[in-house]
Amino acid sequence: MKIQVFAALKDHFDREFEVNGAVNNMEALRSRLREMNPACSAMLDSCRFAVHDEFIDNDFKLQENDTVIILPPSSGG
Amino acid sequence: MIPLSSFPPAAADKMFISAEPLDIVALLAGAHHPKAGALVLFSGEVRSNSLGKEVDCLEYEAYIPMAVKMIRQILEEAHAKWSLQLAIARHRVGRLSVGESAVVVITAAAHRGEAYAANRFIIDKIKHEAPIWKCEYFADGTKEWGGNCNCHKVTGDPQKHIYESIPSDIPSHTMRT
Repeated sequence: MKIQVFAALKDHFDREFEVNGAVNNMEALRSRLREMNPACSAMLDSCRFAVHDEFIDNDFKLQENDTVIILPPSSGG
Repeated sequence: MIPLSSFPPAAADKMFISAEPLDIVALLAGAHHPKAGALVLFSGEVRSNSLGKEVDCLEYEAYIPMAVKMIRQILEEAHAKWSLQLAIARHRVGRLSVGESAVVVITAAAHRGEAYAANRFIIDKIKHEAPIWKCEYFADGTKEWGGNCNCHKVTGDPQKHIYESIPSDIPSHTMRT
């Protein structure tokens, strides 16, 4: 599946990249990303995840062709 | 060079997200309403120092599709909670210098209580929830991505926020000028 990251996450991951293999839900994806980049563990815990511009929780079944948007805590204003 | 990471907003989105400097005077001029006895304008501006360091410039990035949707929802929520004549919110993206406006919120209502409360509610919600991020570039060459919303450290859930304004404490029917 495709992953898009923003803000501080771009200092640790490519802006867009692909994750292959069995990643069925948000926590599985979070674990995979932690393995890719252990320094990001705490940051990933604070992020919200979205598919089709809707936030997802861990009950959402991720599909191979999904694009997952990963949003760090907001700092607008 | 500092990369401009947010893509330019489409025309329909420019009501809420702007890559151009925010024209506060023009926004204000368009915000007067015959039934509004109170208008509150908030402008969030770039400070010259942060974290004890001199700020060179800021860059705001947004995930525009969701930022637009969420700002629209926040304004609708404010309209429903307070009887507003008008609510406007526009956030800047791109690179900003010290003194520039990063976000403008205008609320107009019959009386000032509603206009103030709604304005505070809107800016709080935008700061905590809308997918918009600030990166501070300091005069010493360092940079820091802002973390205005650290609520998850208290709530344990990135979706649960603590707001400075607690609208339920201010029933709108008790507020009259």
